[in-house]
Amino acid sequence: MAQFTIPGRDTTKEMRYQMGYALADLAKEYPDIVAVDADLRTSSGLHIFGHFFPDKLIKVGIAEQNMISVSAGLSQEGYIPFPCTFDAFSRRFLDQLYVSVAYSNLNVKVLGAYAGLFTGKAGATHQSDKELGILLRIPGLNVLEPGSNEEMRQILRCAVETPGPFYIRIVRCEVEDNEVGEGYKFQPGKGVTVVDHGHDAGIVTTGFMIRTAKSAAEKLLKKGIKVRIDHHPSLKPFDRDLLYDMASKVPVMVTAENHCTSGGLFSLVAENLAKEGRQKKVGAIGTDPEDFIHTGHVNDLLAHYKMTSDDIVNMVISLLD
Amino acid sequence: MDPFKNKNLWEPYRKNRRQYKEIFNHQDGYKTLIESTERLAYLIRSYSVYSMTCAALGHPGGSFSEAELLATMYNYVLRHDPAEPSWPMRDVFYLSKCHACPGLYAALALAGYFPVEDLGRYGSWDSYLESHPDSTTTPGIEIAGGSLGQIPGVAVGRALGMRKRGPDHFDRMIYVLIGDGECNEGSVWEAFMAAGHYQLDNIVFIIDNNKVQAKGFVNSDMSIEPLADKLAAFKITPWEVKNGHNVAELVDLFNTLHTQRRGKPNAIILNTIKGKNVADCQLNPNWHTSAPRETGMAQSWLKELWDRDGKRLGIDEDFPVMLGKAIRVVPPLHDNPDEIVDRQA
Repeated sequence: MAQFTIPGRDTTKEMRYQMGYALADLAKEYPDIVAVDADLRTSSGLHIFGHFFPDKLIKVGIAEQNMISVSAGLSQEGYIPFPCTFDAFSRRFLDQLYVSVAYSNLNVKVLGAYAGLFTGKAGATHQSDKELGILLRIPGLNVLEPGSNEEMRQILRCAVETPGPFYIRIVRCEVEDNEVGEGYKFQPGKGVTVVDHGHDAGIVTTGFMIRTAKSAAEKLLKKGIKVRIDHHPSLKPFDRDLLYDMASKVPVMVTAENHCTSGGLFSLVAENLAKEGRQKKVGAIGTDPEDFIHTGHVNDLLAHYKMTSDDIVNMVISLLD
Repeated sequence: MDPFKNKNLWEPYRKNRRQYKEIFNHQDGYKTLIESTERLAYLIRSYSVYSMTCAALGHPGGSFSEAELLATMYNYVLRHDPAEPSWPMRDVFYLSKCHACPGLYAALALAGYFPVEDLGRYGSWDSYLESHPDSTTTPGIEIAGGSLGQIPGVAVGRALGMRKRGPDHFDRMIYVLIGDGECNEGSVWEAFMAAGHYQLDNIVFIIDNNKVQAKGFVNSDMSIEPLADKLAAFKITPWEVKNGHNVAELVDLFNTLHTQRRGKPNAIILNTIKGKNVADCQLNPNWHTSAPRETGMAQSWLKELWDRDGKRLGIDEDFPVMLGKAIRVVPPLHDNPDEIVDRQA
């Protein structure tokens, strides 16, 4: 029992809690920001925002569809609503997001908490590894997946300062403060080269998996294999130029995502390479699109779906053989 | 004493659970029924503490508030057969507030659907006891769930399907246990509307009115009152159980409901206390999610349950001690080279 406490800003590394702080900071600057909660605030991190701005945290009860509809209405009165529930429950409100928010081009910024496999053993109903399949096909919706807390803060700011609908995937687990490097500036619609040891192979990441990929790159370097890592926090719009640049330099590529290997990052890479006629071997790290993700400790899940840094290393080596 | 293989702890009230036999409070056997149901409720709570602590996972609040209802269902109301979970003539019990499955798993295990010692594998990798129920792997689970508000509609469909097949001599019933917070979901009201519209008198909605939802109190987050009036307006007959932890009141109401098939669905507003019988948890949203983080705490919960219920029901004092000693927190089966920190809920 620790959930109703406010974790220290300087001590917690969990992205969900840092998100709560970041949103509160932004609300000091932008008084129109409101958060909309569907009874998950202490899990999603919104309780931290609510601690600083109790009047700006709007509770709709356990009602995810209404959460999005209410947010759409709030945005029509000039507010900047941040509805937030588990990423998996985006399956519940997809049509509200599609019609009321995206089709109407409203200024709603959805936060998908507990993205991917990190749900504290909540099981198949709470694990969200299929949702990008449709989220990435909703016209006009910006879809972003930060991999570190600094990147998350910059993405939240970007969402506030850019009109239009956003969907931001937030992980539950601990992440580094900055995975890219001092002075990193997130740019909307752009990816970033994070590691550039060489061009033996390319690793394309998004979100949390940047950490795993960087660790894999170090292990590969020790084996004499020099890789480049491109990190794509912006999944929609997707930085094709960066992808094509990598594709022009490396013989093989591996995608790494906290999502299944269909409909998300791997699909974006495969579609864009095929469109340009760039044949290339691309390995996919992620969960199996045919599986419901059963309950298990993250170690067991990541081992089963071969999503550790060792698995990335093995995949790069096998593609190079 | 072996806390998993002791037949003296509890035995089902009816030998043949395929048959229902009403027992009224003036009849012989009523006292035995009440006592055996209370024992089952006590054991449901105790084994829930065991399974949740082993799993480092679970929802104690809702599992404790529903214990007497589950006990009444599996000891008295339901016609079912643990030896043949898919027996076509069974009454159907749906748990719609699926997160409270530690309670249901304990009830199913005790009823004989699977071995009680397997409760220690709740929520571990490769276990058939998922963190939220999976009907494809767990005997006795009627449908998968864990995303709230969906199962009331499933129950309506099933009740409608039964009725469309025409009358049968079993007069099968559907029972669905819904959370009070869950009633925030619009789909619950869509199901109520359909049940009223189709005049489904083979369905009983049971609302576990434990006053607390995941992160706060139902009345302050999103009030569902006046619940009885709303149900009545949806053409459902509302019934109230003043104390949902009083087994006798539950048994008496179900006896009454058997005479209330009057072309309208019935709903029971079950007034309960979230986290009932563990002082730390009672009416405390902090214990909606979260299992005891260490065995010592679980052992003191087990002791508390015994002090409140087990003792007066004649349960051996050794039982909570031995069950507490049997707790083994299941570790992850794999190491992780990347050392990811994703804390217990």
